Amino acid sequence: MSSAAASAGGGSGSEVSGGTEERGEIAYVSYGGEQHLPLVMSLVDEELSEPYSIFTYRYFVYLWPQLTFLAFDATDGKCVGTVVCKMGEHRGAFRGYIAMLVVLKPYRGRGIATELVTRSIRVMMDSGCEEVTLEAEVTNKGALALYGRLGFIRAKRLYRYYLNGVDAFRLKLLFPRPDPGLPPMMIGNDTDDQKMDSPYL
Amino acid sequence: MEARSSSSAAAVPPPPSIPSSSDQGVWADVSPLLAAACCDLQDGELVHGENFSLFAAMSALEIMDPKMDSGIERSRYNSVEEAIEDGVAPIPLSLDRTLDVQRSIDVMDHLFSCEATWHKGHTLAQTVFTCIYLMRMERTSSHAVLNSFCRILRATCNAVISVVSTARTHEEEDLFTMSFGLPLRDEGDEKCLSILNSVEETISRQLRACKAQALSKKKTLEGLESLQDNPDLEEDYCRALLCRLRFRKHFYHVVMCMRKPHGRGLELARKHVASCLTELNLMLKSREFLKSQSSTTLQQGDGNCTTASGCQPVGFDVSLNSRLLSPTPPRAVKVLSWSDAIRYFERLLHDLDVICTSSLDPVLENVLYFIVQFQKTVPDLVPRAFLQTLLVQDGKLYGEHLFSDVISRALSLPDIIGDKEFQMNEFVVQLGQLVVNLIKILCTNTAWQRRKLGKSLQDWSTISIQLELALKREFGETRNVLQNENMCMRVSKQLLIWTQEHAYWVAFRFLTLGFELDLYSPGEYCMVYWYMYVVLTKLIEKMQLRVLAISETSRRKGKKKKDHSKDSARDITFSSSCLLLQCYLLLSEGLSMMLAVLRNESRSFQLPSIFNTEQERFMQHFDLLLKARVPEHISFYSFKESSSRAGISDLVKYNFFKEIQKIAPSLRGSFASESEKLAEVRRIEQVAEHNRIALNIINQVGAGDPSLRVSFEFTHHPHFAVAVVKRS
Repeated sequence: MSSAAASAGGGSGSEVSGGTEERGEIAYVSYGGEQHLPLVMSLVDEELSEPYSIFTYRYFVYLWPQLTFLAFDATDGKCVGTVVCKMGEHRGAFRGYIAMLVVLKPYRGRGIATELVTRSIRVMMDSGCEEVTLEAEVTNKGALALYGRLGFIRAKRLYRYYLNGVDAFRLKLLFPRPDPGLPPMMIGNDTDDQKMDSPYL
Repeated sequence: MEARSSSSAAAVPPPPSIPSSSDQGVWADVSPLLAAACCDLQDGELVHGENFSLFAAMSALEIMDPKMDSGIERSRYNSVEEAIEDGVAPIPLSLDRTLDVQRSIDVMDHLFSCEATWHKGHTLAQTVFTCIYLMRMERTSSHAVLNSFCRILRATCNAVISVVSTARTHEEEDLFTMSFGLPLRDEGDEKCLSILNSVEETISRQLRACKAQALSKKKTLEGLESLQDNPDLEEDYCRALLCRLRFRKHFYHVVMCMRKPHGRGLELARKHVASCLTELNLMLKSREFLKSQSSTTLQQGDGNCTTASGCQPVGFDVSLNSRLLSPTPPRAVKVLSWSDAIRYFERLLHDLDVICTSSLDPVLENVLYFIVQFQKTVPDLVPRAFLQTLLVQDGKLYGEHLFSDVISRALSLPDIIGDKEFQMNEFVVQLGQLVVNLIKILCTNTAWQRRKLGKSLQDWSTISIQLELALKREFGETRNVLQNENMCMRVSKQLLIWTQEHAYWVAFRFLTLGFELDLYSPGEYCMVYWYMYVVLTKLIEKMQLRVLAISETSRRKGKKKKDHSKDSARDITFSSSCLLLQCYLLLSEGLSMMLAVLRNESRSFQLPSIFNTEQERFMQHFDLLLKARVPEHISFYSFKESSSRAGISDLVKYNFFKEIQKIAPSLRGSFASESEKLAEVRRIEQVAEHNRIALNIINQVGAGDPSLRVSFEFTHHPHFAVAVVKRS
């Protein structure tokens, strides 16, 4: 997969005040077919820096329609956000990948991005994914905070990853293994000997 | 590709552009077939084939979409020749000789800005080679000034590409060396210096004449060809041209000197670096005059000007080369402003100067320190490539020292330097290769470097295990060893300790780079500092073991008196390096414990998440270290165990920050002559002092006090945070 930007705006979750403006309900819908494709495309084209061809969108929404979600403003039926993902084998692990996450600017800070991406991650987890990854621009504070709250770590920095020359972080979320594996292991005696006076370790 | 249409190709005669059939095959026009296929396809249907899956389809570019198609026709011209015919790059640049000089300078300045932009990570085709004069240099032969400038610029670009390609530090910066079939080389480029020298000579004679004329107040310049027709401007134009030409000359020398084997040209390179800086300064000074003479409308804003005069240069076309680019979406290129380009070159020259100060010290520890120090200012690709090509040439350090000798020197075994058996030993060969790789990795950009370091840990660890096994196999059962075998065992043991020490060194660098790359969130600092603490403990332990083994060796040998002073000097160096690491260890331990206390008593710096726990974060961050068993027997539970029982009373009792303040004075003494290390000690002291005070406040207020607000900032050290305490 070529580079994909995840632009999650706002990022302060539900705490951001919406002023006096009335907030409509948001309806979340799983990808329902070709009629949703232009909505997804126009949102992503508008908000993300990377160019995608129609083939890229089709690759995702045809193979993993269950991982694509759309958010609609219930008052006027306008599509205000979307998430596009995939999953598959990657170096011996079954891995989910968040390709695109977009929420229109006026709708940011209402937890819509969190809700969209949480829905996708849930499906990934239920489908047996061991981990989820994505890339985000290092400057995209909103996205980084959002994914940080969901348990993602910044695993790598990718130098000039995007066409616009900006670095990316590769973010990773590891799911807990159902089998705890080895029992808790204490540090061997050999280490204890060396730092007897330390209260730590 | 297999179209799903059933209609067959219509039997119409092919258009004239289609070649006639031959033995190799039959050509046919597929347009009607495609058209029919298109009619057959409904909205949302895809052409599908064995080798055209949905995944493969993603690599397809949409032709004529300006965001994707880098070859899209954007230039007004189909070829360089067409642009030239249309007068885009005239020679001379103007029939008015004053304007000709002015425009030549603009071309030089814009090329200068393009060169800096190229160094900063864009393609040569989209920067320097947007210049039509450079694309067809033979046309400039009648224009001595422009020709000499372009020729030496091209030769310099070519030399720099060769350094960067040799270094191969560029991994993710490979745009730099792609030359896309550009005319980078030409016969006669080796004469670029003599051509430039003669032009420089002519202009400087003219400048001297101008000065003489100003003194004698004569009206005409006798016997010399003037640059242009306005005698009042002659001197300033001479100066403006001279500094630009001289900068090119000296910069070319810098590049050539630094490429000399064994670092033989470094001293001379430094002189040329100084000259380059002088000429850059003169270029800046010429700006005022050039601006005052420009009559054309200025480019928008001073900050965006790519020339000193502020005029748009003639002879450039940004789109002509777009078809030469690889078939990927186009990268946006914004040429640096001329002022930024000056700043870039100043910085570059400074970085190169630092490389030139290398003492060509063959002691590995010092080499590693030199690179790490150099990387602190985050130098760009070009200086990093120069450093790497200096350090590793023909598989030897500085092209001179076998890495097996470098290792034996590190083991303080001068007897085996040059020893064939040692050099051929499979472990020594492997370790030599690991050291070469380590040096090369350390010269890459920090993002790439960290990933590579993490992966290399596995190699260090594997060879440690092999060494350990070999040691057990060879010597484990032997009781009465001969003197010679004994020596052999000592060497093996020392080699093992040295290898382990370096694995921990790599691990420490890996962990600290995470701070520089902003990979850790405050909620993770506790575990990161804990891991650093663990790694440092082992690193110091191995270092001390190595020193012990070395003094053991020299004691057995019953060294002569004169060697003792050498030994004690070395011991002091070792002990100060150890003490410095001890400070890092105390900082790590103190910070980790402080964070653990805050987590335990105030529930801050915790990592609640709906999908996973702290354990998964721990495993992900330290995956490569855990897999390489650096160190052994470490798991999330060891961290959990120590952090969960951390309490404020212990933290205050073992005041790690205060401990550092006790060590620091002696360190300052041993680093008295090393300003960089001294500055580091000062930074450590500041971090320790701030944290000591913060700890006092936390203790007084109570770590669990709800009004307490603690945050961590990297204001004094890039790797060690300072706690900032506030009360709300």
